Amino acid sequence: MASIRPFYLTKYLRVIASTFEMTFRQTVKDAFILFAVLFQPLIIAMLALWMLKDKGGQYIIFVVIGSGMTGLWSSLLFISGNGITVERWMGTLESLVAAPTPIQVVVIGKNLANVLQSLGSMVVSYILVSFIFGYPLSIAQPWLFLISLIITVVSFVCFGIIIASLFILNPDVQRWQNGLEFPVYILCGFLFPIALLPGWTTPLSYLLTPYWAALALHASAQGTGTIANISFAWGVMLGYSILYLFLSKRLFRVILKKARVDATLSMH
Amino acid sequence: MNAIEVDNLRRIYRPVMGIFRRKVKEIVAVDDISFYVKPGELFGILGPNGAGKTTTVKILVTILIPTSGSARIQGFDVVREAEKVRPRIGFILGGERGLYWRLSGVDNLRYFASLYHVDPGISKSRIPYLMELVGLEDRGKEKVEGYSRGMKQRLHIARALLHDPDILFLDEPSIGLDPIGAREVREVVRNLQAEKKTILLTTHYMFEADALCQRIAVINHGKIVALDTPEALKEVVKDLHIIEVEVFGIPSEVIERLQAKGFIENLAVENVEQRQVLLIQTARGSEAVPDILAILNGLRVGKISVREPTLEDAYVRLVGNKGE
Ligand SMILES: Nc1ncnc2c1ncn2[C@@H]1O[C@H](COP(=O)(O)OP(=O)(O)O)[C@@H](O)[C@H]1O
Ligand SMILES: [Mg+2]
Repeated sequence: MASIRPFYLTKYLRVIASTFEMTFRQTVKDAFILFAVLFQPLIIAMLALWMLKDKGGQYIIFVVIGSGMTGLWSSLLFISGNGITVERWMGTLESLVAAPTPIQVVVIGKNLANVLQSLGSMVVSYILVSFIFGYPLSIAQPWLFLISLIITVVSFVCFGIIIASLFILNPDVQRWQNGLEFPVYILCGFLFPIALLPGWTTPLSYLLTPYWAALALHASAQGTGTIANISFAWGVMLGYSILYLFLSKRLFRVILKKARVDATLSMH
Repeated sequence: MNAIEVDNLRRIYRPVMGIFRRKVKEIVAVDDISFYVKPGELFGILGPNGAGKTTTVKILVTILIPTSGSARIQGFDVVREAEKVRPRIGFILGGERGLYWRLSGVDNLRYFASLYHVDPGISKSRIPYLMELVGLEDRGKEKVEGYSRGMKQRLHIARALLHDPDILFLDEPSIGLDPIGAREVREVVRNLQAEKKTILLTTHYMFEADALCQRIAVINHGKIVALDTPEALKEVVKDLHIIEVEVFGIPSEVIERLQAKGFIENLAVENVEQRQVLLIQTARGSEAVPDILAILNGLRVGKISVREPTLEDAYVRLVGNKGE
């Protein structure tokens, strides 16, 4: 995206904002999304809390954040992953492609809405757990945590573009999605540290941006990390994000060309 | 420079049939068509269902790549320079899909305005103007899911006009509408023409093309079979008269016997409940009636009338039947 002039940047930011707004408005009433965003993380949080209740206070915040991340990942995988397909079903994809805005910009806006909605679930889990269960919850390093959260959002949004594009390329979307949900929970250390996994999986974790997000969020919340290793995680997330943006530009060019040749932008 | 130029355009679909034995069937949807549209012209593509109208429009609006041939919009190639073409055109693809049903009409327009980089200051006044132009000013705040088909189609037209493009593609804008809805849409199209927009309109309604278009390309099986002004197209049947004969249960041998007669230029059969109406084009006018009745001997015959040809008859002649 090196050739983008400031002029375009404001236009694209406006598209991101309006896509965000309309995605948000369309999804607030969607039962499936409410389930993915609110109830699923809550159920996971309560189950985990119940299993870990003897482990002590420091575990609780780990669980709250971990369950929030599961919600974040599920929504990225299913909602962002299906974003383009849904537009195709609605018959709006052709209009999006024919508009003078690159489709990645629209995907960014949609992903941002989804990721922020899921973040809402983190907050809900947090509040519910601390009030109902009576556990005192506190964030050890609030500023580091906040920055981690923002960078997490950025990296998830960018990761979501790649997921969306790969899912258009691969027709067996459903199998991929279901197969990716739980392995990522585990590989990324959402709910227990990856140190518990066999050593050969560690490089896989390093390749996944949600791993670094979980690392930064867990460490800053519990106060177990140093500035050095938390900011290293930030750097990796931002690096991956730039990589994803570059990749997505290329991926979408190939995908859209193929779709216009194969006449798959609409359901015939 | 022409607003739209199409040279030897072809488009073949290769849908994959069946899951296990991947048979590939070829459908030639657009078969070597060429035409041009002048700036400010209202150009019609008229043809029956499946003739290739939508395929042609989709290629011109950059969402489908032609198998061969080329097309330019204001000089820009629709494949190589799609980015330059897109901001210059507006289009609707007929039907009611392609809108965000959970959002209001105005919100749909606001969203598409941002995709077309319309300045927010401008869209603030342009959206109400367009909603009024398409007669939706009182319903703009309602969700699109509650709109009638005609309202959705008119909202599509407003969407296509957001960025005030010079060139408009309207693919069957009145399809599926009741007569009143269709008339409202035609009124909108006429107003656009008055604004000097270049419009390419497709339709399978003869009279719609006749009423709106300055030139018409009649297309059938992906090929242009005639291209001219409505008046010139009527010349095809100028010397003919149309004899309409109502019959009840005509056997196909009798139809074939009629078709074999030299004085019958063209014969179309319309089924109306249990009776058939024969539309016979002949140069002999009412003199042909006794000969026709002789062939129909023994059948129950209803009304018979002889009339002057219309553009509809020219269309029947060119396309071969009523276009269904
Ligand atoms: N995506 C597609 N895949 C396969 N065949 C198609 C596709 N789109 C259209 N066709 C076929 O191409 C022909 C022309 O279709 P179309 O351009 O939609 O005609 P029209 O708009 O004049 O009704 C038809 O036979 C239609 O079935
Ligand atoms: Mg069509």
